Amino acid sequence: MGVVGVMSADSAEPTQTGQPESRLEETIGSRASAEELPPGSVAPDIDAAGLEDLEGQDLEDRDVGPGTADQSVQETPQQRIERFERDAMPLLDQLYAAALRMTRNPADAEDLVQETYLKAYGAFGSFHQGTNLRAWLYRILTNTYINGYRKRQRQPVAQPSEEITDWQLAQAAQHTSSGLRSAEMEALDRLPDSDVKDALSQLAEDFRMAVYLADVEGFAYKEIAEMMGTPIGTVMSRLHRGRKQLRDMLTGVARERGFLRDAEVAS
Amino acid sequence: MSGEDPQDADCGEVLAQLWLFLDNECDHERREFLRRHLDDCGSCLEEFGVEEQLKALLARKCGGDHAPDALKQRLRQSIREIMMRQAWLSTER
Repeated sequence: MGVVGVMSADSAEPTQTGQPESRLEETIGSRASAEELPPGSVAPDIDAAGLEDLEGQDLEDRDVGPGTADQSVQETPQQRIERFERDAMPLLDQLYAAALRMTRNPADAEDLVQETYLKAYGAFGSFHQGTNLRAWLYRILTNTYINGYRKRQRQPVAQPSEEITDWQLAQAAQHTSSGLRSAEMEALDRLPDSDVKDALSQLAEDFRMAVYLADVEGFAYKEIAEMMGTPIGTVMSRLHRGRKQLRDMLTGVARERGFLRDAEVAS
Repeated sequence: MSGEDPQDADCGEVLAQLWLFLDNECDHERREFLRRHLDDCGSCLEEFGVEEQLKALLARKCGGDHAPDALKQRLRQSIREIMMRQAWLSTER
């Protein structure tokens, strides 16, 4: 029974600074609170949480909000698992890739994805089909990582200062200040994927996640802000700084690889 | 270099907002302002090109991993077990 114990109590905490107006927040938050137990009690297993959901489903679903639930009120467990298989499972590779960038190692990425998908399945009855499933799954993934998984990791989390003014003022504005021109940028295309992934993995975690979600997954600032539980200005700051650092790092790597000679770097 | 640009006064503002343009995060009016400046200002356009390539580079090179089959199997198994319990419970009620 591989699932038991995957959802420990601390992994199910609500977001740090969530936006309470968000329906997803409520969905995840209500699941989390249902799983919270008095101090000293035994952590619940996912099966028990799933059963609670099902028992409350007929009443809850009507109250969740407009449009929630044409499908979920009458959905049988068999129908739900089929819907999950059809809609959510095809996104597994993408979520795994994201988890790999977050955790930076395959074993942890697998754990994170598994936890994410089990949470998602548990909450799937109240997921409204009209909304963006991909963003919803990424939000659970990011939440799970930030609020649960990351706390268990040993490495300290970098907490750079990041006021909004930071990114606005920082770029005060010389052209090509970091010395990388379009022509040289093309040299970076010759770098193996692993070099670019390595550079990304060296960014501070919050920068790394923001850059990944924006540039690889193409999410909007607002979506990233919701996923990471931060204001949009913080997302912009993280993106700005993360991209700048990446650009500098990649220039260095390209130079080490001999794809870029010093003389070619603009002063 | 930037001193050669006729619209030098705008360059700082434009450079600070290049990412809004690239990320498709500005409104139509702002977008048009940036586009007009980039059409006229070679230096800003070059900077824009670098940032655009950086974004494209990350998208090309940092995704695309495939989840191991064992993970997929394990996950399907776990979800099926949950489903079976739910189905069993619903027949009990």
